[in-house]
Amino acid sequence: MTSTRRIALCAVLAALALTFSYLESFFPLALFVPLPGVKLGLANIVTVFALYFLGASSALAILLVRCLLGALFAGNASALIFSLLGGFSAMLVMILLRRCRIFSIFGVSIGGAAAHNCGQILAALLTLGNAAPLAYLPVLLLVSLLTGSLTGLIAALLFRSMAHFPMDHI
Amino acid sequence: MSMNRSVKLKPNAADLLIVAAVLLLAALALFRFFPGGARDGAQSAVVSIDGKIVERLPLFQRAQRSYTANGYTLRVSVEDGGVRVAQSDCPTQDCVHTGVISRRGQSIVCLPARLTVTIEGAPDGYDLVVGQGVAE
Repeated sequence: MTSTRRIALCAVLAALALTFSYLESFFPLALFVPLPGVKLGLANIVTVFALYFLGASSALAILLVRCLLGALFAGNASALIFSLLGGFSAMLVMILLRRCRIFSIFGVSIGGAAAHNCGQILAALLTLGNAAPLAYLPVLLLVSLLTGSLTGLIAALLFRSMAHFPMDHI
Repeated sequence: MSMNRSVKLKPNAADLLIVAAVLLLAALALFRFFPGGARDGAQSAVVSIDGKIVERLPLFQRAQRSYTANGYTLRVSVEDGGVRVAQSDCPTQDCVHTGVISRRGQSIVCLPARLTVTIEGAPDGYDLVVGQGVAE
């Protein structure tokens, strides 16, 4: 892939991730699990895809753009620390798990979702200055098993259909 | 792209290790933050803003309080041995949706206002309450 195509693809994926973050607000999962930070994690589909398709450095660039622009669009600077800590914890864990080579895209994605929630709890601890948010950790981790599997499933379906698609000229 | 052939697209046995690790972490967090064991004194709701305790409200006493924190106003209501955020003008409303909390270790968090309500004091003596409200 030429570097121009790579940059263009990164930009498209960053835009897609931002769109997912926005669309997610129309699925109020918090009504069923009334905890702050419970989300489907649709934007993580882009992260998983980018990590496998483009590699760690491009996936990190897309993540950084998504976090910065997302906070800018929401006009909420305190949300930035949540998305940065959550996003980068998830990315770090997924890079390490993928390097192990024994885990499937499902395992990598579940690990990423769990790390994302841990990172967000850490951000809440730093923002609030007391240990109260830690009480949410068990439920958030259980939820991450479901959302991580969902993200992994969608990414797996995507790669499966792409195997029949001529990718050589990309 | 040749990478497609190297990607494992089906869940395998190794993935169960990750699931087990997440469950273990959840269990550890659960036991660490909802420990058993008695402590003296009646239960009270501890209200903190920006990590500093601003008020302790005994749960056996009806009370209504308003707190203004970081530009938002929250109405906290203590009744029937529990505490809830009855009203808030924060955008997310997670604190209101959390509902009533009444057991030690439970908490309500309002991130926009950076306000937390945590229950401290003696446990209520039950591990789990099942079947309440079925007759309604």
